[in-house]
Amino acid sequence: MSADNAYAIELKGVSFKRGTRSIFNNVDIQIPRGKVTGIMGPSGSGKTTLLRLMGAQLRPSNGEVWVNGQNLPKLSRSDLFDARKQMGVLFQSGALFTDLDVFENVAFPLRVHTELPEEMIRDIVLLKLQAVGLRGAIELMPDELSGGMKRRVALARAIALDPQVLMYDEPFVGQDPIAMGVLVRLIRLLNDALGITSVVVSHDLAETASIADFLYVVGDGQVLGQGTPQDLMNSDNPRLRQFMTGDPDGPVPFHYPAPDFREDLLGKR
Amino acid sequence: MRRKSLLDRVAHLGQGAIETVTILGRSGLFLVHALLGRGGIGGGFQLLIKQLYSVGVLSLAIIVVSGIFIGMVLSLQGFSILAKYGSEQAVGQMVALTLLRELGPVVTALLFAGRAGSALTAEIGNMKSTEQLSSLEMIGVDPLKYIVAPRLWAGFISLPVLALIFNVVGIWGGSWVAIDWLGVYEGSFWANMQNSVSFTDDVANGVIKSIVFAFVVTWIAVFQGYDCEPTSEGISRATTKTVVYSSLAVLGLDFILTALMFGDF
Amino acid sequence: MQNRTIETGVGLFLLAGLLALLLLALRVSGLTATTANDTYKLYAYFDNIAGLTVRAKVSMAGVTIGKVTAIDLDRESFTGKVTMEVQKGVNNLPIDSTASILTAGLLGEKYIGLSVGGDSKLLADGGVIHDTQSSLVLEDLIGKFLLNTVSKDAK
Repeated sequence: MSADNAYAIELKGVSFKRGTRSIFNNVDIQIPRGKVTGIMGPSGSGKTTLLRLMGAQLRPSNGEVWVNGQNLPKLSRSDLFDARKQMGVLFQSGALFTDLDVFENVAFPLRVHTELPEEMIRDIVLLKLQAVGLRGAIELMPDELSGGMKRRVALARAIALDPQVLMYDEPFVGQDPIAMGVLVRLIRLLNDALGITSVVVSHDLAETASIADFLYVVGDGQVLGQGTPQDLMNSDNPRLRQFMTGDPDGPVPFHYPAPDFREDLLGKR
Repeated sequence: MRRKSLLDRVAHLGQGAIETVTILGRSGLFLVHALLGRGGIGGGFQLLIKQLYSVGVLSLAIIVVSGIFIGMVLSLQGFSILAKYGSEQAVGQMVALTLLRELGPVVTALLFAGRAGSALTAEIGNMKSTEQLSSLEMIGVDPLKYIVAPRLWAGFISLPVLALIFNVVGIWGGSWVAIDWLGVYEGSFWANMQNSVSFTDDVANGVIKSIVFAFVVTWIAVFQGYDCEPTSEGISRATTKTVVYSSLAVLGLDFILTALMFGDF
Repeated sequence: MQNRTIETGVGLFLLAGLLALLLLALRVSGLTATTANDTYKLYAYFDNIAGLTVRAKVSMAGVTIGKVTAIDLDRESFTGKVTMEVQKGVNNLPIDSTASILTAGLLGEKYIGLSVGGDSKLLADGGVIHDTQSSLVLEDLIGKFLLNTVSKDAK
């Protein structure tokens, strides 16, 4: 029935196939409530797919996805619509709506899910933008913002409805150190101040490990390891070790499969 | 490069055929969901108005200019040919019939595909690659109803309107060339035209054609954008596909429609 | 915001389209507002209707008073039966009026020209015009011409 209260999100026995390729096979993941959990793994391991499964953008071929006490794949359209109020997502590129200005972007979820009067919407938007430090940019259009600013506005939009769960898809990609610092600080701050659960999908080991309370490492369609950053550093699973230490050669080989080098040189002449 | 065996090529061909059918099916479902699916958010009318502006109003410039020039050229060419048979006074009906039955709907559709169709594809493809469509889904808004449907309806409405305007400015351009320049009598120009142009057979059939074209061109444009690979390369490929497929579809359908409408020989 | 300009723009656009449609209807195709109620039917039988099509004009003294609405083969007399719809206002046609299939202009569009007879009795709805002249076929004309020339030479 309803999931254990300690876990905001639970994936039970989830399998996901794309065509004939199996991306995930019978995976179990528990995201503890009120903490920052990182999901990491090599490229192509399906981390973003996990996020989309949690956000009900994709349906699993098997298994249950429990978010805030509800099994998402089984919900009706209107129930799912309501459930989305409790979820906020920050996409890699910010994904602001290019034809709306900053104010309208942040106000968008409010207009979709509530019937609040204009003054209230304005107050809420101002509050959210203040939280991410961009209240002064309220009248700008997205193409007038820098990349980092776009993400912060997108973050303000993601928290517009005060969701219980915030999901970040590769938030650290391509950021300069200052923007990185801002983002890291915001993720931690929002998580603690608002008492929400944060899920960060990333392959940036250093930054994720620095803010995450709990880490999952996925690869080969399953969970390779879970635990606190410290636990994982000391693990003796070879795949896990290679990922955590960044060793170029190991279970994930350096050389792409090729015939014998000598034969290649002599033969192909 | 690996040389493909004959079997490989045949397999490739078969795969291509199956893929085409799959794509056709996907685009059909896409269309049905966008137009007939339930749900949608308030402000739908506002969205439609906005799209009518960007799809229709902004295409006016190219349509009007092209229309005038085509009308003028028709008149010029037609005059020189008819003069050989002593029938210059019939140039009015020639211009009118050619525009109303064929050039109006077809040329407008081709220009529309190039200008508005490719713009739609690029816009939607861009939204897909910057994950705006995903964001909409996550917020709980169906992008098919919020983004796609208004653009579909805008295309369905705009193209016939543009074709009508094209016809009118074309005929006017033709009349200017014929009457003021080539010396055709104003009275006979319009009288011959009115006598041979039938509203139901010519004007209405032309409108029907442009409605059919509107449906096909907008559908292709919007689907290509929605279905493309979310990379810049994918978007540019999709835009090319829109223009090519739309143009072929318009010309092919034009033949079929012309045979149905005017072909009772 | 720019909403006003957008809305006005779209409104003007649609208005332009409507105007275009009206222009095409009235000035280009010469659509007139005659409905079925304003006309009455007349029939005429021709030996040869070659070239006459449905929707062709019916005129008298050069003035259009109706149009051809149907052309069928009469199976008993094996002649062409033409149905015409004539404006109700022109209801004083004598029953011995003539209907001829004439050619308009050099491009050869056929139409029906009516000329008045002298009878006091008038044609009513469903009436038949008996005095008809068929379409001129080019071959017959040439044949006649040749025959004339031959007989002239023979004299």
